[in-house]
Order: sequence, then C-alpha cells, then structure tokens
Amino acid sequence: MKKIININFHSRVIPIEETAYEILQQYVESLRRYFANEEGREEIISDIENRFSELFADKLKKGAACITDDDVNAIIASMGRPEEFAGEEPETSHASSATGAGSGTSATGSGTASGTGATGSGPQQGYGPYTADEPRRLFRASNDKVLGGVCAGLANYLKLDPAIVRLLFVLITFTWGFGFLLYIILWIVLPTKALATNARKRLYRNPDDRVIAGVASGIAAYFHIDVWIPRLIFSLPLIIGIVTSIFQNIWWHFFRWDGGHILADGFGGSLFIAYIVLWIVLPEAITASEKLEMRGEKIDLESIKNTVKSDLESFKGRARDMGAEMKESFQNMGQQMGSQIRQNVQNFSAEAGAAARKSNSGIGHAIGVVFKAFFLMIAGIVAFALVMLLVALAFSGGGLLDLKSYVLDGFWEDILAWASFILCLVVPVIALLTWLIRRITGIRSQRHYLGYMFATLWVIGLISFVVLAGMVINNFRVRAHSEEDFALAQPSHGNLIIRARTNVHREYYDDDWWFNNGWRHHGYFYTLNDDSVFLNTVQIKILRSDDSSYHMRILRGSLGPGTNAALDHARQINFQIAQTDSIVLLPGGFPVTRDQKFRNQQVIVAVYIPNGKKFMIDNSVNRYDWMNLRVGRSHIEFDDHDRNDDSYDDEGFSLENNFYWNSGVQYMMTTEGLQRVNAMGKPEDRPERPEIKERPEKPDRPGKKENDEKPENPTPGNGGYRYKEPAKKNNADTPATRSSTMLMSHRPSRFVLFSLFI
Amino acid sequence: MNIENTQSQMRKGILEFCILSVIRRGEAYPSDIVEEMKAANLNILEGTLYPLLTRLKNADMLTYRWVESNSGPPRKYFSLTPKGEAFYGELQATWNELANAVHALTQKI
Repeated sequence: MKKIININFHSRVIPIEETAYEILQQYVESLRRYFANEEGREEIISDIENRFSELFADKLKKGAACITDDDVNAIIASMGRPEEFAGEEPETSHASSATGAGSGTSATGSGTASGTGATGSGPQQGYGPYTADEPRRLFRASNDKVLGGVCAGLANYLKLDPAIVRLLFVLITFTWGFGFLLYIILWIVLPTKALATNARKRLYRNPDDRVIAGVASGIAAYFHIDVWIPRLIFSLPLIIGIVTSIFQNIWWHFFRWDGGHILADGFGGSLFIAYIVLWIVLPEAITASEKLEMRGEKIDLESIKNTVKSDLESFKGRARDMGAEMKESFQNMGQQMGSQIRQNVQNFSAEAGAAARKSNSGIGHAIGVVFKAFFLMIAGIVAFALVMLLVALAFSGGGLLDLKSYVLDGFWEDILAWASFILCLVVPVIALLTWLIRRITGIRSQRHYLGYMFATLWVIGLISFVVLAGMVINNFRVRAHSEEDFALAQPSHGNLIIRARTNVHREYYDDDWWFNNGWRHHGYFYTLNDDSVFLNTVQIKILRSDDSSYHMRILRGSLGPGTNAALDHARQINFQIAQTDSIVLLPGGFPVTRDQKFRNQQVIVAVYIPNGKKFMIDNSVNRYDWMNLRVGRSHIEFDDHDRNDDSYDDEGFSLENNFYWNSGVQYMMTTEGLQRVNAMGKPEDRPERPEIKERPEKPDRPGKKENDEKPENPTPGNGGYRYKEPAKKNNADTPATRSSTMLMSHRPSRFVLFSLFI
Repeated sequence: MNIENTQSQMRKGILEFCILSVIRRGEAYPSDIVEEMKAANLNILEGTLYPLLTRLKNADMLTYRWVESNSGPPRKYFSLTPKGEAFYGELQATWNELANAVHALTQKI
C-alpha cells in the first residue's frame, strides 16, 4: 500500500508514489550538489527535470496509473547518477587546471570513478567533481563557510558532512583550546575555492530512537556504530557528576564556586555544549530519503585513511616538482630581485588594504585573518562568559531570586530588575544564538531590523539597570540606630557569661542541599527560609561600667533612604536576649523578612562591666559576622572587619572606648583595663594587649561627611553618646574617666529622642 | 593502470565531436541525440549530455529554440552556430589526423 501524491512537474500533473517522489527529489538534490559550481546549473537541472517529466508523461499515456519507484529508478539509471558522470564527461570547464593529473590519481588506484555507462552499473564508490580528475587538495570552501570555510574544506577533503568537522573543531576548541589556533593557521595557509559538498550522507537527528533529541542515535547511524556508544559519551559528564556528588558533594561544590566547573570546561563541558549545538543545528531525518541519507555509505577510518594516503602520494610528486621549480626560481631570483622589490613596495600598500577583503593569500590577508580571528575570539569569550553567567544564574537562580525580594522594594524596582536582567543578559544570549545558528546553517537575513531591535532592547536594559542601581543605592544611603537598655539582672557570682544560641534556625537549611555548601559558612545571609533571611551581623562591645553593676544595651542599626526609614527598619529587628542568672543568651542572629527588606541591619550588644567584676564571652559568639556598607554620593564602601572593629560611628556616634577581648577567656575589669583571670578567679600576670584600642583619627571622607552632618537631630548635644568631635577633644583624658562619663549618662539617646518626635 | 579508466578517457575525448556531428545534421532534441548515439553503439548517459549541451550553448557553439510538441510543454531543439560549425570543422580535422595515425600505427605489421 503506497500513498500517491500529485505533483506539478514542469507543467505536467504527475501522480506519483510518495516514495518515488522522494527518490526523485534526492536524485535532483544530488545533481544540484554535483553541479554546485557549474555556471548553467539551473538550466541543466531544469533540462533533466523536463526530460523526467516527459518520460513520466509517456508512461502515463501508456496506461500506467501512477509513477512508481521502479519507473523513477529506471529513468535515473538511464540518466546516470552524478557519480557516474565523472568518468563520462570530457574535461571541459571545471577541470581546466587538471592537465594530465587525471592519470595521477588513477595510478594510485584508490577507486576512481569508473562508471561505464554501457553497463549502467549503478551507484558505486565515486568522487565528486573535484576528485576524479584532479589530485584532491585541501581548500577553504568559499561558498560554504561559517568563519573561513576551513571546516567545509576539510569536510570536502575527507568527504564528510561539514557539520561533523565543525563539531569536532568546536569540541577541540572548548576542550583543549588549540582548535582555534589550528583553525587560524589553516585559514591563513589554505587557498580558497568554491567546493561542492561531496558527502554522500548527512548528519541528522534520528527521531525514531531518541532519549532527548535523537542526537546520539543520529551520530550512531552516521558512523554505523551502536547507539549506546555516543550515548555513553554524551552522558559521561553527568555520570561523573553523579559519582562525584556522591563522594562529598564535590560536584556541587565546584559548581557553586566556579560557575559550573564541570559544565563549563573540560571535555564534559564541551560535550554538553556540543549536544546543545547539535540539537539546534541538525535537522531531524523525517522523510524516508532523509533517513537513507542519514545512514548513507559506510564511512570508516579505512576510507579516510585511503583518501589521505592517495593524497600524500600525489603530494610527494608535487613536492618533487616544487623542488625543481624552486631551483629554477632561485637562479632567476638574482636578476629579478631588484625590480621585484621595487614593484612590491609599490604594490604593497594597495594590496594590504585590498587583500584583507579579497582574501588573497598575501601578508595583508594574514593580517586580516588574524584581526578577524582576534575579534571573533574576544566576541566568543564574551559570549561564552555571558552564556555561562546565565547558566550559573539559572542554577543558582533560586537563591539569588530569593535574595532579590529582600533588596528590592516596591513594584517598580521589581519591574526594573526583571527588565535589566532580561534585556541586559538574556537578550544578548538570544542574539548570539540566533547569529550562531544563522552562521552554521548558512541562512543569511537581508533584514537588519533584528540587530537594531536587539541593540535597542539591550540599551533599554542598560538604562533600567542604571535607574535600578540608583534606586537601590538610595535605599542604602543613611544609617540610623535605635537603642534600648536590656534589663540585666545582676549575676550572683560577679561573673557574667555571654553566649550565643547556636542551633537556632539550623533546621531550616541543614536538609536544604542548596545551602549546604558554602553560603552558609561564608555568607552574611546566614540562611534563608521561605520568608526570611537570617543575618548574623552582630557585634559585642565590652565597655567599662561607671557604677557597680552590669549594664547591657542593644543597638539596632539599619540603612534606609532617610533617617526615618532607616530607624523603622532598625526597630523591626527582632533580637531577643534571655538571661538565666549569670548566663546571658544571645540569639544566633536575627531574621529579616521579605517585608522588612535587607538593609544591612546590624546589632551591637554593648556590655558594661563594673570594675572588679568578671565576665567571659563564650566561643559560641564566633558565629557572628560583621558587615558594614557605607553608601556615599560617589562610592560604596563595604567592610567586613570582624567584631573587633571598634569604629561604629557612622552617624557621629561612637563606642570607641571599648576593650579588645578574646572569646572563651575569663576577664576581670580593672582600672587598668581588662585583666585575664584564671579559673581560680586570680588575676593572671599579663594584661590583655592591646587593652584599649586607641582609634586613629580618620580623615573625613567627602561623601561621608555629607551624611554625617546631615542627621536631622534637633538636639545633637543631648545624645547619650557623644559626638565624635567632643570625644576627640577628650583624647587627653585617661580612658577610665572618659568611659565613665559615657556611662554615667543615662539620658535617652538622640535616636530615642528622635523617635519620640515621630 | 586500469582498463576501464583508459576506456573512459578515450571515450571522453570524442564525445563532444560525436554530439556536434549529430546536431550538425539538423536540429536535435537531446533524447534523440542519445538514441542516435546508442544506435551507433556509442553509449552515453543522458545525464551527462545535458550539462555538455548547456556548456556548449554557453560557449556559443550551440543555440536552441523552443518547439511546440503535441504532448505537454515545448521542447528544446539544439542547432549549431557558425562558431560551432568552425569548431566542429577543427575537431573533424583533428579526428581525421588521429584516425589516420591510429590506423597507421595499429595496422602496421
């Protein structure tokens, strides 16, 4: 049972079996390829088609219901297949340069086309137009090129599908990097020529046997190997990945820190990319003829070896000729040198310019090629980085997208963020892929609006990014603190122990593999659950109490677009301290919800120790981190000095007389400073050094100054903590008195005052 | 050395000459040319004829005109141009020389 279709074939309506039609199409296509660079190609093919149609009409007139496979095959046999033409045709037009070379190839006996038309011996091992009569030479294809036509030239030489050679080059380039160099060398060295595709088979994706897209089984069909081989090769990186992730999660570790280490480089990465590229580039073998073409003749190493061997032999001959030629030319050289050089100098400037365009093989050409290659390489690297960034974002996007909603505030910032992300990152990648596919498939668009569109979108993305950055930075402009006294019950043994709760919130991320690597231990965003980040930007400051009791004071700080907003953010920090007799238990950090937003919230716990009393800060506080953002008009500062950073003075507000301490050490406050004490409670010999950090005077930064002077505090002098300037003036005082004046003042701070006004 | 290759080389050389001589006798339709050559026991693939005719036509040796046929679309009939005529003349002279030479050489005892 066969399907019959009606075709309009050169003004005749022909009912033809579908399979026969495909055979016919394939035949015409093979002619088209054979005559690829024949001047009158279309005319020849049209004539032949016309003849087919005439013969079909004859058949039908004789009473046939339709044209069958056999009919078509019979006509093709009498017409002859392209591979049979080669032996038949006189060397007229396209073999003009092959004077007497035909016998050269035949001497090697490597299966030259020998179709004797008389026997009509059917398709046989034959060569395309450039192979039967000339020694096969390596050219760059001028008619089928992605970059310089090197791959198509190689493919023609080895009688492979150009896609295969291109793929190999891509693979080699991404794996070892020298593929590109090789390409450039070949680009410079090889002459160009219009080459016909002489591959008798093409690489297709096999839709009948596929796991993802049928790439692997298409390759298997092409090389006549079992399908599991390419599949195994392609899935190797995945298998390796799984194996290594079993061992200590290494894969994910790499992945996170190197932007997809295994994906991005090494052989595995190239395979991954190759698969994607193949998926995009290769057509599916849908029709019967395409499926035939997919399998084609068997290509194995032997046949490739044969072609190369025959070539080397002819090369030997040529080399001999060249030797003779050179001897001759050396003799002539002496005479010609003078005139030659003069002429060359004259020509050079003209040639250098023109050659780069005309792809002559001269110095100009080489320079042009190197420039072009350089440019392409940079473009490639940029593109590759973009793609990798996208891939990394796609994989880590869960985390980043989550963070986004903590930084961005409001509808417009969100819109802008998406716009700048999509337009700045995704659009170039799409543009690049479009360009790449066009290059590889050889489709060229005459319309340039696509390019303009991409460029416009990208610029819009850039603008929205700048606007977004401005808006976001504005949200981080001003720092404000709220403070609160903690009602500390006096410890009964004269010893205060400060601990941080350790296991709070761990359950959120311990089973979350995503945050199981790296971030948790390195980041300031300690952990993330569905609706909050957990910050651990907490510092503990030790100061001297100026009465005989312990005091504790909690300062909550935050950034905001203005003091009010910053203070709002600061007050929302939930930092609950618990006390059981002498043990003060601090939370492990504090959560920041999506509504609160991340505004570099900080908590400072200031502990005032009276003279002669002891305290110890447990090692558990080491889990705290510190991070300080300062945003000025023209700069953003980020510092992450740890808990011993004594400068907490962003808004003219200072705790500068704090003492340096180590965790896990028992101290006693003395008039001299902090004194280590041993387990018995006796002071040890050595006092802690440095006892008091003398803060070096910092030059005021211009940007900071503006912010510093700005606070709309109506009564600056009322602050419980003195301004920096007065504190500086007191530098001559002993530390003890200075801190005592600080601690004596139990008036509400200016921030508390300020909050009363709201 | 393989025999088939030498044979096809020999045939190649005379192909154009033979085709031109068929056309010279009067306007010819390609498939008629093939038939005529087959009748003379010189087999040629039709597929090689078309490119050859096109090339000769593009080299101004041949010209063609469309002739209405009773069935289907018009057909191309080829004929010699004056230039083709001259070309043919030269080929004929060469052939005669060759034939004589070959004859002389092969018949010599």
